Amino acid sequence: MPQHHIRAAAHDRDVGMAKITALSWRAGAAGVVIAGLLTFAFGHHVAASSGPAVPRNDQGSILIPAQPPAPAAGSGQVTSGAS
Amino acid sequence: MTTSEITRDTFAVFGTTAVLLVTTPRAITPARAVADRVLAEVDLACSRFRPDSELARLNAAGGESVAISAVFADLLAAALRAAKLTGGDVDPTCAHALASLGYDRDFADVRKAGAQSPRLTGPVGPVGPVPGWGRVRLDRAGRRVRLEHGAQLDLGATAKAWAADKCANQIADRVGCGILVSLGGDVAVGGEAPPDGWRVRVTDDHAAPSWAAGQTVTISSGGLATSSTTVRTWTVGGRPVHHIIDPSTGEPARSCWRTVSVAAGTCTDANTASTAAIVRGAAALDWLHDIGLPARLVRHDGTVETTAGWPRDDPDDAA
Repeated sequence: MPQHHIRAAAHDRDVGMAKITALSWRAGAAGVVIAGLLTFAFGHHVAASSGPAVPRNDQGSILIPAQPPAPAAGSGQVTSGAS
Repeated sequence: MTTSEITRDTFAVFGTTAVLLVTTPRAITPARAVADRVLAEVDLACSRFRPDSELARLNAAGGESVAISAVFADLLAAALRAAKLTGGDVDPTCAHALASLGYDRDFADVRKAGAQSPRLTGPVGPVGPVPGWGRVRLDRAGRRVRLEHGAQLDLGATAKAWAADKCANQIADRVGCGILVSLGGDVAVGGEAPPDGWRVRVTDDHAAPSWAAGQTVTISSGGLATSSTTVRTWTVGGRPVHHIIDPSTGEPARSCWRTVSVAAGTCTDANTASTAAIVRGAAALDWLHDIGLPARLVRHDGTVETTAGWPRDDPDDAA
């Protein structure tokens, strides 16, 4: 193959690689921006569901109930008092 | 499941009343069988009033290392965990303090003895701080324990609640139903709860009727426990005393609360917190709020405080 063809092919290869690299960086950056936007938009739902409503599984602290007691009318099925 | 399908069994245990509620009628017999087995194991392990219990043998061992069962190791670990999580306000080394107040036998006999017992009518001086849970050397893996410096154990503050948790968990796993276990007012639930939850009336005395002064709430998981200075009471030398010992003095706690109810992830933790709240007095409000535990605290005059999402009392249903 003539030398000028080889140089042209190498040049085309380098140009192609540069385009792919630039495209990858842009896609990565766009992903970071989109992830940030999604976190900003919906992060409060995650925070709300990971608060005191979820029992802690570690045994190094008193376990919080999954939900606090709810109000109810009338008598109870059982009584909780001292014995 | 409907409310009408909920089936009940009530029986005596540990000198108090046990209640089982199941969501499937056919589950009540196997649930009772599981509960009987668990409760018998717990009684043999840690009754303070059975000479053949592991606890009695350990207290009589004079500081020697004693081999223990897996059940006793678990019960003691739960008691030590309660002590650690409350900074020692719930301490298992209060047996001597209780005995010095005459509470060295089944409580029904303590009340019967009353003024007839010279031990209960004479002047009783302060016993001082309890030895402290740091005097208990538990080798849980090796299943051995040793009590240092004359420490004597009473697991009454946690054992009943631990047994309620154990019953509820095992019944849910083995019988496959929704279950509520109440042991003298220490309530643990397991499995799938009824659609509207389990209705629990919180009041001073677990033996009070289900419409007694207090508040009705529902729970669907975990546990709920109530501690009070108004129920397990007797007199010593004309002085009224109760069974919740302040470890820092060795005396019955002088609390601004007459009754505290707590909901937690387990009945053991609920009972740990309700007992600690009685001992801590006014400081308990901030403590419960800071750790996010829903609680209802009743002062001696009947006024009520709540924390961390515990519902407010219905004005038409006063404490």
